[in-house]
Amino acid sequence: MQDLRFRRPHGFGLHVPSLEIAAGEMVLLAGGSGAGKSTLLWLVAGLLRADGGTIEVAGQRIDAMRESDRDRVRARHIGLVFQTHQLLPDFTAEQNVALALMASGEPERTHLSRARDLLRALGVERTGAHVTDLSVGQQQRVAVARAIACRPVLVLADEPTASLDAESGAVAMDLIQRACREAGAALLCASHDAGMQGRFQRVVDVRTFVREEVAR
Amino acid sequence: MNDLAVVLASLRARRLSTAITAGSVAIAVALLLTMLSLRKSGFEAFQRGSGNTHLLVSADSSPLVAVLNGVFYANPPANPISWEKYNEIRASFPYEWAIPTQHGDSFRGFPVCATAPEFFSKFQPVRGEPWKLAEGRYPDKSFEICMGSAAAAGTGLRLGQQVRLTHGAGSDHGHEHTEYPYTVVGILEPTGSAHDRAVFTDLDSTWILHAHDRREHEGIEGMTTAADLTDADRKITGILLRLPTRPGSDASAAIQQQFDALRRDTAITVAQPAQQIDRLRGIVGNIDGIFIALGVAVLVSSGVSILLALYNSMAERRRQIAVLRAIGLSRGRVQGMIVTEACLIGLVGAITGVALSIVGGALAAAALKARIGLVVQPDIDPRATLIVLAGAVLLAGLASVLPAILAYRTPVADNLRPAA
Repeated sequence: MQDLRFRRPHGFGLHVPSLEIAAGEMVLLAGGSGAGKSTLLWLVAGLLRADGGTIEVAGQRIDAMRESDRDRVRARHIGLVFQTHQLLPDFTAEQNVALALMASGEPERTHLSRARDLLRALGVERTGAHVTDLSVGQQQRVAVARAIACRPVLVLADEPTASLDAESGAVAMDLIQRACREAGAALLCASHDAGMQGRFQRVVDVRTFVREEVAR
Repeated sequence: MNDLAVVLASLRARRLSTAITAGSVAIAVALLLTMLSLRKSGFEAFQRGSGNTHLLVSADSSPLVAVLNGVFYANPPANPISWEKYNEIRASFPYEWAIPTQHGDSFRGFPVCATAPEFFSKFQPVRGEPWKLAEGRYPDKSFEICMGSAAAAGTGLRLGQQVRLTHGAGSDHGHEHTEYPYTVVGILEPTGSAHDRAVFTDLDSTWILHAHDRREHEGIEGMTTAADLTDADRKITGILLRLPTRPGSDASAAIQQQFDALRRDTAITVAQPAQQIDRLRGIVGNIDGIFIALGVAVLVSSGVSILLALYNSMAERRRQIAVLRAIGLSRGRVQGMIVTEACLIGLVGAITGVALSIVGGALAAAALKARIGLVVQPDIDPRATLIVLAGAVLLAGLASVLPAILAYRTPVADNLRPAA
């Protein structure tokens, strides 16, 4: 991203002069709560619209796209992992993963089989169980499987370990990073946990992007 | 996975709300279709009964009352016609036939119609469909009765059984003519008209019963016979008239002329049954228009219940919508899922409603037959059914517009936050 500007309603905003993440690179977005880590992730994901500057994902300028095109890029090239997993409780584990494949436009006949393969590779055996019947650890795996299902070039993880204890958090991060490595995806992970810095090739502190006034 | 699977999962997750909402659509559709079905066949049923009669003469207060009493046995006619008047009318024109009838007595609540043998040989209760016997024969002597099919089923009477008739129409009114037992000699096939509820006998025996009452009041003892009848005893309550027609035709050019001629006699009321039944249809038509309007109102209110069910679920679904949007589903696609969900509720409700209307129509028809002898064949009109089905789905789709707009506007980032 280049010269990225995003203004918040109360005047504070983000200005990212330049940030580039190479293919397969793992970058930690550090900073305290409310610093703007999630906002930056949603800008990269195309869920928020920047006020200026450029964002390019997989060679495509998503800042200049219509919303429907941004949706398509997100579905095909970006995986998302959330702090609370954000799995859909009305669906089974394999259906949750298959939803991402459905969004990415993969042929329907492959959805469930690929979802099962991904889940088993990540250690989830009860692929047909409703996610609410799975343990938190298993739910985390389902969430990771969903994020990498579309073979993304970039995985955005928003505080993926914030609701876990240190040991479980380490296991979850191992899982996410392993999955990204195997999928060949870059990882941009937002976390306020300073203990995670050693896991990443690069650490970017989002506080350096915070501005009191962000001009258009 | 496809969009429909997502919609079905969403419906399954809200089973109770889905079932209640679809149920309200089903009731509305069933009510509407049953009304439409009974309306059509009810009108057809009203046409049965007057059969091949051209004119009906009585001493009732109006032509409509004459038809209600004379054809549908609504009430015993209040005023009699003398036998002399009957002979005068019969002689006034070369009628094909002029059949006298006398209503007023009853048996266990079923009306008794005393009449002449021509009632069975010439009058057809439904045009083109003469009487048929299920068992036995028509009465040809005094104190014999022939039962209409519904009256036979309702009383359980069999051939050869003896009964006593009641003076008056209701089972709680009048007195029983205990001195004169009647023998059941015939049971008629169903005609689909109000005549199925009637019990038929000859005029002489009816006159004898009433003459016997008169003689008792006068202090004359002993059984009354036909020889004791005076001209005053020979009273009837109606005359069925048919004018000569060309072979193969039911109409007669002289009907209106003869109708006008008879109307000049202020002692009688003359009715063209077909015309009066059309009038009755007009009156009933207004009432059933109200029922149809109510059915439409219930359908619209079921659309509102779909709206409310979806609208109320939107708060808990914001996160789901945000997740679907985050994994790449467009706003339009998510909006389409909400509309599909509503349309499915409408469709399932409407199909259930069609099934309910078939059952409801059959039950209503059975009740109408049992209560008033009106034979109605509930007939689901495929065109009306398709229109109501499409209307229900369209209404459901319209009801989903507001929830779909809310889904469209759901802010994704805000709803993905853990605290959201």
